[in-house]
Amino acid sequence: MAQGQARTAAKTATPPFSPVLLLGVALKPVRPQLLQPIFDSMLGIIRRRHPDILERMADYADKPVCIDPTDLPFVILLDPNPEEPRLTVRREIDPAEVAATIHGPLEMLIALAEGKVDGDALFFSRRLVIEGDTEVVVALRNAIDGAGIDLIEDISQHLGPLGRPFRGLAGAAIGLIGRLRDDFEMLRSSLIAPAVKDVDAQSARIAALEGEVKQLRKAARRGGAA
Amino acid sequence: MTELARPELVCPAGTPAALKSAVDAGADCVYVGFRDETNARNFPGLNFSRKELGEGVAYAHAHGAKVLAAINTFPRAGQPQLWHRAVDDAAKAKVDAVILADIGLIEYAARTHPELRLHLSVQAAASNPDAIRFYAERFGIKRVVLPRVLTVSEIAAINPRIAPVETEVFVFGGLCVMAEGRCALSSYATGQSPNMNGVCSPAGEVRYTETPEGITSELGGFTINKFAHNEPAGYPTLCKGRFIANDKASYLFEEPTSLNTLAILPDLIRAGVTAFKIEGRQRGRAYVAAVVQAFRQGIDAVLAGRPLPDIDLDRITEGGKQTTGAYEKAWR
Repeated sequence: MAQGQARTAAKTATPPFSPVLLLGVALKPVRPQLLQPIFDSMLGIIRRRHPDILERMADYADKPVCIDPTDLPFVILLDPNPEEPRLTVRREIDPAEVAATIHGPLEMLIALAEGKVDGDALFFSRRLVIEGDTEVVVALRNAIDGAGIDLIEDISQHLGPLGRPFRGLAGAAIGLIGRLRDDFEMLRSSLIAPAVKDVDAQSARIAALEGEVKQLRKAARRGGAA
Repeated sequence: MTELARPELVCPAGTPAALKSAVDAGADCVYVGFRDETNARNFPGLNFSRKELGEGVAYAHAHGAKVLAAINTFPRAGQPQLWHRAVDDAAKAKVDAVILADIGLIEYAARTHPELRLHLSVQAAASNPDAIRFYAERFGIKRVVLPRVLTVSEIAAINPRIAPVETEVFVFGGLCVMAEGRCALSSYATGQSPNMNGVCSPAGEVRYTETPEGITSELGGFTINKFAHNEPAGYPTLCKGRFIANDKASYLFEEPTSLNTLAILPDLIRAGVTAFKIEGRQRGRAYVAAVVQAFRQGIDAVLAGRPLPDIDLDRITEGGKQTTGAYEKAWR
């Protein structure tokens, strides 16, 4: 299968122009297997600190879920089997391999995992795209939201004496990403400003034409009735 | 001027983490359900085990808040044991009240746990003084959650006629536009209903399909809506489906929209309502915290005689829209 084919909703789940997107471009040459140890450690931490997630997912043990950070060049396969859970990073996943897929930008997926944003609200606003078995997605969302995950705190606790410097580094990184995000937003607005102006003008023209069509239809109906 | 009574803020929690968020954000009461079909939010991965309920009650009580257990579905004929056990376990966990809808279950609770405070669920659809007084006189119901069909003035008229029974009204969240506890739309499409199974439009029956034109939502195999790209979406319920009639696709029952009464809080407080309820046990911690904080500020402002705070809750509303619903009946 060609790269990217697994992302069946990728066309509509366009990633935002962000520092993470740039990181994704940089990570393209990296083989996903090289990142696997990070995900193995994360799963270990989650199992130790939040065992209730897998407990709430017990009814969906045989329903793997694909988590697709749309701004990164890989996807994550979550196998929620309580006996042998797995979090595998892959370049791509055939949709037939999984019960459901969740597409969204990385920062939003992390905020969702930490309960900082509401999953329903993200879905209503179309920033989160789900495909496949909705039940397993809802169960996963509820299980994770209910766990009270705090990634920095969870990793800090895992690192023991190195936790404190890690907290400092993570705080600085979050601050840097926030500033970069603002800069990226400014760049994006600047780049698309001429196109937005054209679209606004076209929208106004379409609205005017729709009004005229409505008037003509009314007039035609009146003429027909007479 | 008469001093206004301070209404209780009753907040939803689908998980222990959401309960803590609600209490920390200023909830006076938190309502929860067991992880089974005894409550009207029997969603996958949601709700409380018996142990979690006990811990939740301890946390809430330690912070001066109450916990209400919703056991508000209707037991299957001849098989009330699951519902009886839920009432027994809620009493054992020392919840501050149980919220019930079924008349047989109310009788069981009143007889078996005479010390347990009983609230009448919105699912019982008691919307007039005669019905409410019946439940109060026969079973000692202390509070009724009013269906979302009454205007503020109708609520103000009901309150003195049912005293000392308290009223609780919804102030934010999803809207049921049907006769609550009697809607059969979900059952028609999926065989499961909020009334009997605790779930409206069960997630297992919902499918979303991305197409070049946008997203299509299906319930039980029926296409119920199509959203264009960037068009805000709503819950996949039949009552909020978009159907074609007279060659025109439109929302025949109700648009995807959320109830928001922040702007009319002073009227609801003056109407003598005892408790304000926020819908959304199925929503995440972020929703709970945001809505509870907004209404805490709103209620405190009204009681202190300050102007209502201007709080934008658009980002968490269904379909990106808000309404005051039947409270104002603006369509009349």
